[in-house]
Amino acid sequence: MNLARLRRHLADLISHAYIWGCLLIFVTPFLALLSYSFEKVGGVSLVNYEYVFGSFMDNLLTSVRVSGAAVLINLLISLPAAYGLVRYRYPAKGFILSALTLPLYTPAAVLGLSLVLTYNFTYKLTTSIWGLVFAMVVGTFPLMVVPIVVALKDLPQVFEEASLSLGATRWQTYWRIVFPLIGPGISAGILLSFVIVFNEYLVTLFVSPPGVTTAPLRVFNLVRTAGLLNTTAALAATLQIISFIAVLIFFRLFGTRYLKGTYLI
Amino acid sequence: MHGLRRLSALSGGLLPSSRLWIVAFLLPAALMAVLFLYYPLIFIVRMSFTEKDTFLSPGGPLYTITNYLDLTGRYAPNILVTIKLAGLATLVDLAFGFPFAYILIRKVRYRDLVRAIMVFPMFGALYIAFGMRFVLLPGGFLTPILQLLGVEGAQVLYGLPSTVFAMAIFTFPFMVMNIGAALSNLDPMLEEAATCLGARPWQTLARVILPLVRSGVIAGCLVCFGWNVGAFAEPLLLGSLEEQRSLAWTLYQRGVVQLDYGLSATMGVVLLALAFSVNYLSLRYSRGGLVE
Repeated sequence: MNLARLRRHLADLISHAYIWGCLLIFVTPFLALLSYSFEKVGGVSLVNYEYVFGSFMDNLLTSVRVSGAAVLINLLISLPAAYGLVRYRYPAKGFILSALTLPLYTPAAVLGLSLVLTYNFTYKLTTSIWGLVFAMVVGTFPLMVVPIVVALKDLPQVFEEASLSLGATRWQTYWRIVFPLIGPGISAGILLSFVIVFNEYLVTLFVSPPGVTTAPLRVFNLVRTAGLLNTTAALAATLQIISFIAVLIFFRLFGTRYLKGTYLI
Repeated sequence: MHGLRRLSALSGGLLPSSRLWIVAFLLPAALMAVLFLYYPLIFIVRMSFTEKDTFLSPGGPLYTITNYLDLTGRYAPNILVTIKLAGLATLVDLAFGFPFAYILIRKVRYRDLVRAIMVFPMFGALYIAFGMRFVLLPGGFLTPILQLLGVEGAQVLYGLPSTVFAMAIFTFPFMVMNIGAALSNLDPMLEEAATCLGARPWQTLARVILPLVRSGVIAGCLVCFGWNVGAFAEPLLLGSLEEQRSLAWTLYQRGVVQLDYGLSATMGVVLLALAFSVNYLSLRYSRGGLVE
């Protein structure tokens, strides 16, 4: 009797140890970057972070600007698209959604190559930062539209009908009823596309116009050309911390419900 | 009765139901997809049939299939390396991911905490590869532990194991997500019933659990494989010359550095075909669509 209980406790212990072991391996690369970012010849210091907010500041600002523009455009496109996909009945709806979410399955290197070639030869967008922004928008469109679709499907149509029949205009209905009620879905979309765009280096490597270097691309360039620098580690750690804080705030506010069916569980 | 019919007629008329509205709602997204996804993809398919950089020559492009012959001949090892790396990383994910998903669904109450931590690999393979380099370098973060295990960090850095390991970390959450979704639909009573009827744990696993979560396992493997064929930073930063032959990196070299557009586009098309076919299969195995 006692032996069986002991055995069960042991099994539980091993199970939880396994989970935490795996999680430790997940964060090991981050922890390594973090610990090296504090390292300085002869001790611990924050001097590497002076670089992050000094010479890397430009890159960080570029990143924030590109991510902001991409997320905003993405939202303006996704909201009507999700509404049109959920609220109406017409044939081939599933096909249309698949066609729109195809970027999720396109390897980033292929997306980058095809975009840089068309920018070069057809669109003449190679010197404009908008080329980069549009590349980000098309790459993260599925991440924005899927949570909004999920939220809209959860929202019964009666609220809109009630609002309209009580005399609200269409705009009032959208702004005062629909958008607030699907707020968590919209926030999930914004979070996902922000986190992905903010850390995107691969498509950026292909399509970024000359003179424009986002922070993750700077990390990539420095790792390739300058080897292992503590300042680069500090920049990479900063980017991950910013992303993680965004994720944590979202989890606290909305939980994980609307992230289902997308990248993050 | 009368009122109900009136109400339903009313609500039918409330949403802007003309086809025009549907088109208006979907147009921006469709335009975006056509301009920045479908046209570019068709563009590289067309370009893959042109020779080197003749696409922009004044006499018009020279159409040829030598790129494809090259790719299946001279560059066949590149395709094979890409598939090998992705396959190995998927196997590692499966081996570690199945127990992880099982414990997570059956025993763990702090699931949200685990989810939050599992977000880290999603921030990008670049940080994983960069961090692993710090970890494995001589005098690195984990050197004492590695030495204890009898492994010399510098020996595994720049080679197959570290590349595969980094790729496996990057896609691990996809595997856990897919298997976990299948497991959470599985009633624990079935396992208890099997145990009560005298099945050993491994019999329960092989005869009860595995057959019932098969589709989740297959979908997880396919998704991981589909992501890993496009791996770029891991082979580049952690691999030897052999691993650096993987398609995504070679494509960048040929296309952007050496300006051999034809060959680069061909590699892109092959990579695309690999990723799409695998993901198409995975969608068939995972549960239903989002909109009915």
